[in-house]
Amino acid sequence: MKLRDVAIGANASIYYKLDFKRIKGVFYPRTTGELSQVIKMASEKGLDITMKGGGSGLSGACTGGDSERVMVSTLQMNDIISVNLKGGYADVETGVTPDELNARIGVDGYKFWVAPSSRDIATVGGLISTDGGGNDAWVNGTMRDNTIWVKMLLSTGDEITVSHEGVRADDSELEARLNEIGMNLGDVASAHGTLGAITKMRLKIKPIDGQRLRGGIAEFEDANALGNALAKMIDKQIPIAYGESIVYAHPHIKSILNPPLLILEYPEASHDVLSDITNMRQLSRNETDAMKAIRLQLPKRNPNEGVQIALFEGYGFHDQSLARLQEAVDRIHALLMENEFVPFAQYGHAPSKWYLGDNTPAYGIIMHSREIQPADKSGIEKFKVVKQIVNLCKELDITPKPEHKWIFSDKTKLDRLRELRSVVGTRFNSFVLDPNCDRILEAMA
Amino acid sequence: MEEYERCVRCGSCLKFCPLFQVTGEEQYSPRGKAYLLQVMDQIEDDQELGKEFRQLLFQCTMCGRCAEICSSDVDLLEIWHRQRARALETAPEEFEYLESLRESLANVKNIYGFSPEDRAVFWIDELIDELPNIEDRIYAPGKTAETVVFLGCLMSFRATQVDVVKALFKTLEKMDADYLVMGAEEFCCSHPLHLMGRDDAAVDLRKHNKEVIEATEANTLVTCCPGCLIQLARYHDLEGIAVLHHTQFFARELETLAPSHSAKNFAYHDPCELHRIMNVRKEPRALMDMLDIEYRDLDAACCGGGGLLRMTDPNLSDKIIEFRKESENLEDMVVLTCCPSCREQLLNAGLKTRDIVELLFDSLAEGG
Ligand SMILES: Cc1cc2nc3c(=O)[nH]c(=O)nc-3n(C[C@H](O)[C@H](O)[C@H](O)COP(=O)(O)OP(=O)(O)OC[C@H]3O[C@@H](n4cnc5c(N)ncnc54)[C@H](O)[C@@H]3O)c2cc1C
Repeated sequence: MKLRDVAIGANASIYYKLDFKRIKGVFYPRTTGELSQVIKMASEKGLDITMKGGGSGLSGACTGGDSERVMVSTLQMNDIISVNLKGGYADVETGVTPDELNARIGVDGYKFWVAPSSRDIATVGGLISTDGGGNDAWVNGTMRDNTIWVKMLLSTGDEITVSHEGVRADDSELEARLNEIGMNLGDVASAHGTLGAITKMRLKIKPIDGQRLRGGIAEFEDANALGNALAKMIDKQIPIAYGESIVYAHPHIKSILNPPLLILEYPEASHDVLSDITNMRQLSRNETDAMKAIRLQLPKRNPNEGVQIALFEGYGFHDQSLARLQEAVDRIHALLMENEFVPFAQYGHAPSKWYLGDNTPAYGIIMHSREIQPADKSGIEKFKVVKQIVNLCKELDITPKPEHKWIFSDKTKLDRLRELRSVVGTRFNSFVLDPNCDRILEAMA
Repeated sequence: MEEYERCVRCGSCLKFCPLFQVTGEEQYSPRGKAYLLQVMDQIEDDQELGKEFRQLLFQCTMCGRCAEICSSDVDLLEIWHRQRARALETAPEEFEYLESLRESLANVKNIYGFSPEDRAVFWIDELIDELPNIEDRIYAPGKTAETVVFLGCLMSFRATQVDVVKALFKTLEKMDADYLVMGAEEFCCSHPLHLMGRDDAAVDLRKHNKEVIEATEANTLVTCCPGCLIQLARYHDLEGIAVLHHTQFFARELETLAPSHSAKNFAYHDPCELHRIMNVRKEPRALMDMLDIEYRDLDAACCGGGGLLRMTDPNLSDKIIEFRKESENLEDMVVLTCCPSCREQLLNAGLKTRDIVELLFDSLAEGG
C-alpha cells in the first residue's frame, strides 16, 4: 500500500475512515482510453469500480464503501474540449469544475448556470451524479436541467451516450434494451456512480444577460414566516436569480446575521411583488457581495472551539412542509441536543428546485445543517444520530434531497438503479445498493 | 485537539496548491495531507507509509495559499511546520541531506558552507570599481548608522544576485542614506531551520544577529529577502527597530521617481512569503506605479522555490515553475519580483526577471 491509496479516501463527508486494504488500485486517468483500460482490468479481476470527482460529496458515495475495488479519480480528466457559443453548449471532460468552465467562457460573456457553493472543487461528473444545484437552481434548475448529454463507459467496455431523450450506443442491441426500459438523463442524475463512468458531457451555457438585479435581505420572526414567504415566491414564480436562506446560526457565527433570513437578488421589475410578500431591506452591491460571501463560507466554517460536522444534509421542505418549518427545525434541534450535538448553522438555497427519487421536481428549501461535534463521540454513535434524523424526516414529511446526504433511503431511486444495472452491469459503486449499506457507512463514520 | 482535525476536507484548497497543480494527485494536496493525518491511527503501523509521509511533508512549498484559502480557518502552515519538526525528530536518518544544511549553519553560519568571512567578499569585488567606498559601509564594532542592511545568504554568495546587490547599494548611495551592511558579522537568518521545523537550532544564529543589529544603533533594518524578513521581524526579538523589506523602505523614503521608459512586457510576481505571510502587497506596487510601469499581476501563486523544495525535490520545484511558465505565458515577459529566492527560480527556468530595486536604480540614474 502506498499513500496515494490512502489519500484517495479524502472526502467532505463524515464517512472517511475507510478500510484502505480493500482498495486494490488507485488511478488518475487522463483520457477515456486510459479509463477504459482501468475498467477492463477491474472487470477481469472481478473488482468493483468507484468513481471520484472532487470528493466534495456529503453522502460518502465517492468512498466506495467496503467493496474490494479500484478507485478512479477524474481530477486529471479536466479538459474543456470545445465551446460552441452560438449553439449554447460546451463539451467538457468529467473532471471540469463549474468555476473552471466559467473562467473560460466568462471572457465571452457566457456562463454555465449551476452554482453550488462547492463550485471551486465539485466536478461536473460528480454534480450530475448527485444532481447538484446552486443558489440559482430555482430559475436555472439543477445539473440535469443544464446537461444535454453524458458519455459513459460501462463495465462491459461499451460506451453509451445518455440524453433526456434516451440512450445511444454503438451496440444496437444494448441501445434498444436501454431505451426499452426508458433510460435517460434523469436516471444518471443522482445515480451516485452506480451505473458507469461518466467521461464527457455536453453542458448548456447561456449569455450573462446583464439584467439589472437588486440585492435585498428579508428577516423573519421565525422559520414558519420564512417558509410561508418562500411558498408565496414559488407560487408567484418570481424569477429570483440568487436565493439563499440562513435559518439558524450559532452565536459564534451570528455576528451581523439575524436569522431566519433570506438573501435575494432579483430583477428590478419583481420588486413590488416581492415587497407584497415580505419586507425587503435593499442591499448595495457591496453589501450583497458581502452577504453572499458569508453564506458561501458557512458550510466550511468552524466554531471558535472544536470542529463542525455535517451529520445530515438536504432536509427538503416543499409544499405543505414549508409552513411548518419552525416546528421541524425545533424538533431537529431537540434531537441534536439530546445527542449532545450543538446546532451550528442551518442554511440553504431558497427558493430552490430539486428532484425527488421518482424524477418529479420539488420546490422549496433544501436546508443544509452543520453541528458542533462533541469531542468524545464514536463513529457508531454519530451514525446512530444520522439514522434518528432520517426517521424524524420521515415522521415530519421532510423529503431529503436524494442526491445529498442520504441517497440510501430513497427506495424509488434505488429500485430504478437496480433495474438499470441489470442491463448496464453491476460493477460500479455497488455498496450504495448493498442491503447492508447502513452498516458499511457506520463503520466509516 | 490537533489543528488538522479542524479540516472539514471540503477540497477548496486543492486547485490552489502548486504541488497538486503539477502532480494532480490527492496525497500532494493540503486536503490529502490533512486527511492522512486524520487517519494516521489506521496506517501508522506501516513503517513504509510513515517514511513516505515524512517525505511528503517536505514536498510542499510552504507558500501558505492553502491556509489563506481555508474557510474553516485551519492553520495549515502551522501544521506543516509542526509535522516537519516531528518528522525530523522521528527519523533524522531520512533527512541526512538536510542535516548537512543544519551543520553548515551551525559551523559557518551560512547555507552554502563557505567561510563566514567570505560573506562580504564576492559582491564587494563586483562593486568596488563603481562604489570605491563600499568597504566603509561594512559593519565593524563601534560603527553605527541609521539603517542596517541584512543581505541574507543568497544575496551574499550567489553570482545570480549581484545585479540586485549592486542596484540596492547604488540606490542607497544615490539617496545619501546613512547605512551599514552587516558583512561577515551577518549570520544566516535561520529561515531554513524554521522551514525544517528546527527553530530550536536557530537560537544562536538569532542571538548573534540581534546583538550585531543592536550594536549598529540603527532604527531601521532592511532586507531584500522575504524569508529573512520573516525571521528578523518575528523571531529576532528586535525592539525599537523597524524591520522592513526593501520595497517598504524605498516606498517610504522615495517621493518621486523618473518614469521608466522601458516598453518591456512586464508582469509582477508576488513572493509568497512577502505578500501572504508578511502582508507586503502595496509597497512593491506603489513603487512600480511611481515608476509609471505597466505590468500585469501574475496569479498569486508560488514559483516553486519555497519551503526548501529546491533541496528536497528539485524535480517538483522545476515542474511548478514550468507549469506557471506555460499557463501564464511567461516566456516573453520580464517578470518583476523582489525576492532572491524567486529570482533564482525564475532564472533557473530561463525566464527574464528583474528585482524592483533594479528598476529603481535605473530611474534614479536617469535623474529621477
Ligand atoms: C462546502 C460544500 C458546499 C457544498 N454546496 C453544495 C451546493 O451548494 N449544492 C449542491 O448540490 N451540493 C453541494 N455540496 C455537495 C457536493 O459538492 C456535491 O454533491 C457535488 O456534486 C459533488 O461533486 P464531486 O465532484 O465532488 O463528486 P464526488 O464527491 O467525488 O462524488 C460524488 C458522487 O459522484 C460520483 N461520481 C463522480 N464522478 C463521477 C464520474 N465521472 N462518473 C460516475 N460517477 C461519478 C461518485 O462516485 C459519487 O457517488 C457541497 C459540498 C461542500 C463540501
